[in-house]
Amino acid sequence: MPRCLPQHLLILLMSISCSSQRSHETAGAAGDTSSRRTGTTSAAGADSATSNYFVAGDSLRFIEHTEILPAGFPLQIKPLPIKNLYEGDKGAIATGAKLYVGYNCLDCHGADGSGAMGPSFQDGRWHFGGSPGDVFESIYEGRPDGMPAWGGRISNDQIWMLTAYVRSLSSKDLSTENFTGKTVERTGH
Amino acid sequence: MKRVLRGRAAILPLIALAACSGGDKSAAADSTSSSGPQATSSAATGTGSVSGARIAVAHAGPPGEWQMPAGDYASSRYSELASITPQNAASLHVAWAFSTGVLRGHEGQPLVVGNTMYVVTPYPNVAYAIDLAQTGQPLKWKFRPENSQQAIGRACCDVVNRGAAYADGKIFYNLLDGHTIAVDASTGNQVWRAKMGDLSRGETITMAPIVVKGKVIVGSSGGEMGVRGWIAALDANTGKEVWRAYNIGPDKDVKVGPKFKTFYAHDRGKDLGATSWPGDTWKTGGGAVWGWLSYDPALNLIYHGTSNPGPWNENQRTGDNKWTASILARDADTGEMVWALQVTPHDMWDYDAVNENILVDLPIKGQTRKVLVHFDRNGFAYTIDRATGEILLAEPFVPMNWSTGIDMATGRPKVVETKKTAQDKNVKDICPSLEGGKNQQPAAFSPQTGLFYVPTNNLCMDFQARAVTYIAGTPFIGGNAPEKGGPGGYRGEFIAWDATTGKKIWGIKEPYPVWGGALATAGGVVFYGTLDGWFKAVDARNGKVLWQFKVGSGVVGNPVTYTGPDGKQYVAIYAGIGGDMGLLIAGDVAANLPYDVRERGTTLPDIARWTSWGGELFVFSL
Repeated sequence: MPRCLPQHLLILLMSISCSSQRSHETAGAAGDTSSRRTGTTSAAGADSATSNYFVAGDSLRFIEHTEILPAGFPLQIKPLPIKNLYEGDKGAIATGAKLYVGYNCLDCHGADGSGAMGPSFQDGRWHFGGSPGDVFESIYEGRPDGMPAWGGRISNDQIWMLTAYVRSLSSKDLSTENFTGKTVERTGH
Repeated sequence: MKRVLRGRAAILPLIALAACSGGDKSAAADSTSSSGPQATSSAATGTGSVSGARIAVAHAGPPGEWQMPAGDYASSRYSELASITPQNAASLHVAWAFSTGVLRGHEGQPLVVGNTMYVVTPYPNVAYAIDLAQTGQPLKWKFRPENSQQAIGRACCDVVNRGAAYADGKIFYNLLDGHTIAVDASTGNQVWRAKMGDLSRGETITMAPIVVKGKVIVGSSGGEMGVRGWIAALDANTGKEVWRAYNIGPDKDVKVGPKFKTFYAHDRGKDLGATSWPGDTWKTGGGAVWGWLSYDPALNLIYHGTSNPGPWNENQRTGDNKWTASILARDADTGEMVWALQVTPHDMWDYDAVNENILVDLPIKGQTRKVLVHFDRNGFAYTIDRATGEILLAEPFVPMNWSTGIDMATGRPKVVETKKTAQDKNVKDICPSLEGGKNQQPAAFSPQTGLFYVPTNNLCMDFQARAVTYIAGTPFIGGNAPEKGGPGGYRGEFIAWDATTGKKIWGIKEPYPVWGGALATAGGVVFYGTLDGWFKAVDARNGKVLWQFKVGSGVVGNPVTYTGPDGKQYVAIYAGIGGDMGLLIAGDVAANLPYDVRERGTTLPDIARWTSWGGELFVFSL
C-alpha cells in the first residue's frame, strides 16, 4: 500500500467490532454495555416496550416523525432522550481522538477542534445541535456545507466514539466582545 | 448611446497622459472599441523614465476600462490613467459604495466594460452588472448561478473567487463547485455552463480565467484535498473543452512532447511528472492551478503556477514531485508544455508556486530581456527568461531562513538542513510560513518607475508533519503549521522591488500581512489595501503615503481604476476580509456566524478589534 495507513489506525480498525447491523435498535437501560460491545439486539428487544431511548452501539438513530401523524392523534410530546454510552468514557474519547486524526477530521476542524475549513468544536456553538444525538447525526448524515456523510463508511460505534471526543473539546461560550481574553492558537493550516 | 458618451469621456485623461509622458499612445487612443482583449504585443505601454522597461502586452481594451483580471495579459495591473497624482491624491473621497450581499473573503477585482461594472462575489458566486452611467448606480442585472453548497466545506481556504474575465460580449467566471460559466454581459443570461471539476474529490475552482484567442483558460483548486491539478481551455462560444493538461502524471497527460525544451537539463526526461513520485502517489499529488494566468501573444505561451504537492507530509512522496510548486509555460492553442521551472522541488513547506507571473521587458546587464517576474511563496523573487525558463536572477524579497539562495547552475534552491520538515518531527521557526513571502495578492508593475509593487507577508511557522490517509473529499494534508509574526515586529510590508537588480527600493511596514493586491497608475500613484481595512494611495517613487481611508472591512481584493461616464478617474476596491488569512478570524465565521468578531488566533493578534466581516465595493474619485 503506497499511502501509509497509520499503524495505530490499522490496529484500531481491527480491534473494533464493525457490525453491519442496521435495525432500529432500542437498547436496554443506560449502562448496559454488553449489548453495545457485542452489537447484538438480544438484550434490547426485551426492554423495548418500556424504553424508547437510544444508546451508543452499532446501529442507527431512530427518528419518530410525529409531525406527520393524523390530526387528533394523541401526541407524546416528551422528547426522546438519546444517550451516548461513550460520553465521558476516557478510553473511548482517546480512541475517538485517534479516529479524528485518522479520518482527516483534524485538517478540516483543526487540531483539538480549533476550527479551520470546518467550524470549531471549542467555542460551545453548534450549528446543527450539540447533543450526542445531534453530533452523531452530523457525522452520520453529513451536513450541507461540505461535511461528508460517514454513515456506512465507518462503523456506528466509531461515530459514537468520535461524538464523545468532539463533545469533550467544547468549552463554554466566550464573549463575542472579548478581545483581551483567552485566545486559541491557530492550528491546522 | 451610452457607449458614445463613455468613449468621449475616456479621451480626456489620455490627452493629459500623452502630454506628460510623450509615449506613443496611438494604440490606446481607440477608446470607443471594447470588443475584447487586444492580443498584440506591439503596442508598448509606458515608455516612462526607466529606459527599456516596458509591459510585454498592451492593456486590454481602452485605457479607461478594466476587462481582464489584471487589466492585461501581462498581469501588470498598471493603468495609463493619470488624473490622480501625488499632488492631488490627498483629496480622494468615496464616490459611491455597493454591498455585495455576501460575506467571506472578497479576493479578486471588478471589471469595467463600457459603462458597466461587473462584480462577482465569493460563494455563492453572484454576478452583478452595475450601470455606471446612471446616478445611484442601479443594477442592470443580477445573476445567481446554481452552485452546490457542498463546495463550502471542500474549499481549503475560504470560499473566495478571484474574479471574472470579459470577452466578446460575455462574462466568464468560475463557480466554487467546479463549474465554469459564461454569462451574457448585456442580459445576465447564462450562455453556457461546463462542469470542470469533481467536487466529491475536493476539486473546487476559485481562480480568475483569462480568454485567449476564443478560448477560456481555467484551472483547478484543491491542493489540500489530494486532487490532481489541471489547466484546461474551453471554447468561449460553446463551453466545450478544447484541451486539458494535468500538471502531474505521465507525459501524455501533462502534455510534454516535442515542444518541451526546458532550460535545466535535470528537468528534461521521460514521464518526470510520474517518475518523480513513489508508486502512483502522483494520482493524489496536488499541483492545482488556483492562482493567476498570464499570456504572451508573441510567444503564444500561457504561464501559470502549480500548488503544493499533497500531502504536506513529505515522507509519503519522496522525490521531486514534478510538476508541483512549479512555473509552467504552455502553448495556448494546445496546452503543450514548452518549459517548466520547479521553484521548490520536493516542497515540504506548502510553498505553492501559484503567484502571478508578470511579463515585462527589462534592461538586465545592459541588455533588454523578455522576462517573467514572479514573487514566490518560498520567499524568492525570480526574474526569468520567459521564452526558456532560465533564471536570470533570484533574491529573497522577505525575511527567510529555509534556503541560502538559488544554485544558478541548476535553478534549485539550496536548502538549510535544519529547516527540512519530516514526519513526526516538529521543526521550529521556518520563515516564511506556509502563507509564503507573498500569497495570492498580486503585485503591480509601473513602466514609469521600472518597479514592482509587492504586497508581502512576514510570517514564520513551526511545522509538524504526520502520516495521513487519502480519503476522497477530505483534506489530504498530514501536517500542522502554527504561524507567528516574522522578525522585526511587523507581519506584512508593501514593497517596491527592482527586478533588474533583485533589490527592495522602499517598503511600508504593516501590522498584518498585506493580503490585498496592488495597482500602479501613470499618475505616479500606487494603491493597495490592508487586512485591517485601510485603503491607501502611495507615491510610486518613494512610498510616501499620500492618502488613506478606512473601508468597511479588511481588504483582500485588488484595486482597479477606470474612467467614469463623467470623464473622471475612479478607483474601485472590494472590502471583505477572508481568504486563507482572513480565515483566522473566519475559522469561526466559517460557521456562518458573521457577527462573531472574536479573535481567532495569535497569528493576527487583535485583528478583530480593527475589522469584521463585510462584502462591499468602494469607489473613490477626486
